[in-house]
Amino acid sequence: MPDVQSTVLEFVNKLRKRKIEGSQATARYTVELLRSVISQQRVPHANQASALIDAVKAVGEQLVAANPVELAVGNVVRRVLHIIREENLSLTTAAMAGLDLMDASDDDELDNSKGIGYPAMSAAVVAAARSTLRPPSLQTLLEGTPESATVPYTSSSGADSESKSKSADKSSITRKLKHDVIEEVNQLIQEIAGCHEQIAEQAIEHIHQNEVILTLGSSRTVLEFLCAAKEKKRSFRVFVAEGAPRYQGHLLAKELVARGLPTTVITDSAVFAMISRVNMVIIGAHAVMANGGVIGPVGVNMAALAAQKHAVPFVVLAGSHKLCPLYPHNPEVLLNELRSPSELLDFGEFSDCLDFGVGSGSPLLQVVNPTFDYYYLDYRGGHNPSYMYRLIADYYSADDLVM
Amino acid sequence: MWRRSASFILDERRSSNSPPMADTTRGPFPNPDSISAYYQTRAAHHGVITSDWLAQAQAAVGGVSGEEHSVAELGKEKSFNVIDEFNSWRKQPDLAEAVAAIRALAAVIRASEATTMMELEIELKKASDTLKSWDKTSISLTAGCDLFIRYVTRTSALEYEDFNSAKSRLLERAEKFGEISCKARRIIAMLSQDFIFDGCTILVHGLSRVVLEVLKAAAQNNKLFRVLCTEGRPDGTGVLLSSELSKLDIPVKLLLDSAVAYSMDEVDMVFVGADGVVESGGIINMMGTYQIALVAHSMNKPVYVAAESYKFARLYPLDQKDMAPALRPIEFGVKIPAKVEVERSARDYTPPQYLTLLFTDLGVLSPSVVSDELIQLYL
Repeated sequence: MPDVQSTVLEFVNKLRKRKIEGSQATARYTVELLRSVISQQRVPHANQASALIDAVKAVGEQLVAANPVELAVGNVVRRVLHIIREENLSLTTAAMAGLDLMDASDDDELDNSKGIGYPAMSAAVVAAARSTLRPPSLQTLLEGTPESATVPYTSSSGADSESKSKSADKSSITRKLKHDVIEEVNQLIQEIAGCHEQIAEQAIEHIHQNEVILTLGSSRTVLEFLCAAKEKKRSFRVFVAEGAPRYQGHLLAKELVARGLPTTVITDSAVFAMISRVNMVIIGAHAVMANGGVIGPVGVNMAALAAQKHAVPFVVLAGSHKLCPLYPHNPEVLLNELRSPSELLDFGEFSDCLDFGVGSGSPLLQVVNPTFDYYYLDYRGGHNPSYMYRLIADYYSADDLVM
Repeated sequence: MWRRSASFILDERRSSNSPPMADTTRGPFPNPDSISAYYQTRAAHHGVITSDWLAQAQAAVGGVSGEEHSVAELGKEKSFNVIDEFNSWRKQPDLAEAVAAIRALAAVIRASEATTMMELEIELKKASDTLKSWDKTSISLTAGCDLFIRYVTRTSALEYEDFNSAKSRLLERAEKFGEISCKARRIIAMLSQDFIFDGCTILVHGLSRVVLEVLKAAAQNNKLFRVLCTEGRPDGTGVLLSSELSKLDIPVKLLLDSAVAYSMDEVDMVFVGADGVVESGGIINMMGTYQIALVAHSMNKPVYVAAESYKFARLYPLDQKDMAPALRPIEFGVKIPAKVEVERSARDYTPPQYLTLLFTDLGVLSPSVVSDELIQLYL
């Protein structure tokens, strides 16, 4: 336990000092940290899922507080919580069904007292358990929660009154939860590590011969995407908007040229001028929000407006760890990082003339409204922004939104 | 080559031909007035005095009541109880329409002499059909009935040993539904708090109890905001809402319905309730909502809808006239010449592309989620 605590603190420090670059690396380290937290956590026999959830939440809160702008941290914490809940749900229903079967099969061995009402009740209890552990929906609206408190008790009382073999089974079930969760978490790590390759596999379907692609800033996902299409012998041109003041576009252009793609660097102001000659705009996102809004590098809103005006397809690439279940309430302030204005102006140039600074800082990120029709690509394929709710329902539980 | 025909003349001719046929197509318990009972009740809640209401009051005082005769003639005891029961619940101003419907159906269960679930289901279906045909215009009524019938069907599939325990469980859930409705309003209020920021201006249309709850919660959380209310003719909802809000010390400004576009510049978001949420994700709400949503959309202002999930209905209007007409009497204060028609529809349909988000007790949803939820429930 103590060494987990120290790793957590170390990670929190790294996050606070922004020592870890990139959402993929951050997400991966976070999940690995949570995996060690889970495996070290000692769980009681009853209600062990809630013990795990509390432990993960406690660590997760610290991590999110350390770097609130990096949404991937919060996202993967919520993914892990969702995994715990899902595994718990499937194990509980399996346990119920299992006990039900066992009751039916060895009637003669057991006492009569518990055999009678149990199978009949279990169906209703299972249904109620399922409804309380699932997110709220119209189906469960009328069912309410009278059974939820009784679910763990019936299972534990059932175990007590049954034979030793059953109680041995029960403890194996308790161990199974942790094991299943860790297995799923490992799969999550694989998914995060392989997100670039998985998205790049779809490149061939979207980029066609002799096309002109526009991109903005520097995203590793976009780089892999374009290079994958190049591997499959598609020949196309790329225009890269340089992304002042950090000029990330220059880095991306150098990489692309090194891999043999004909690339042109353009200034940000030339985006609207070039857009009519472009077939597709591809952007790597920093995060995708629950209402479909995309958070990307500064200048992406301009590219989206230009693309909308000329009906150019706008494709957003983001791994699943960038899909955030929150809504952007005040994106400019809450989710943005303001870098030093020294990137824009040299010290001494303007500060002599003006009393106050020209600006408080140069923002790093910008939000694109979901009213733009864009195409969101992740490893499962392409989606509309209005489909975001389905992806979020698959990956996250409603209970974890507020941490 | 194709000139636009004067369709309004053709329609009038057609409608003048059809009245003899209309009576036969009505259900067994037709609402004698063509005026929507749902909107009448809403007007009664708001304390609006219309000529219609006065006529009824006069008739009641005079000791002659035309409606009861036509219903009593048919003499079916049980169905008579359902509608009466429903009406008595509906009159309470703080009770949602769907809650009243479910309480009425619970009364049917209580009064029923069925001995099997199948029989009970059939009785409930009949009662719900009666209620629905009695007031075709109320969407939450239809949705509430459907939800309850669906729940009964699913519960009966769970093979309870004992019919009586199943029956008592159904009764208990039906009674609890009123609490569910209140809890739903609180959940919606909680979910929408993040969207109301300090210093914002909210435009509200219509008097929705859910929206009022949202604004109350925001005021309790010490948020600084102001509200612009539309006048809401002919119900006068603006004046009522503004009096409620001024009790909470929220700065309120009343607007004419036609002043919405004029003031839309200073508005940060629009908040409306809904009489019903349809399958496409659009909403059916008091007349004027569509107009406001159009203006807001053209000026890039978000339109938020606060609606409980039991208002999701299996309707898909293709245009404004594609719903059962809900008419209400409109007073102009002066006498209108006989040949002049009045557009008396009480509600309009707002398509989903003009709505930004729906706040429901199932969470914050985008309009596309509605059909998903409905499919999960009904299929």
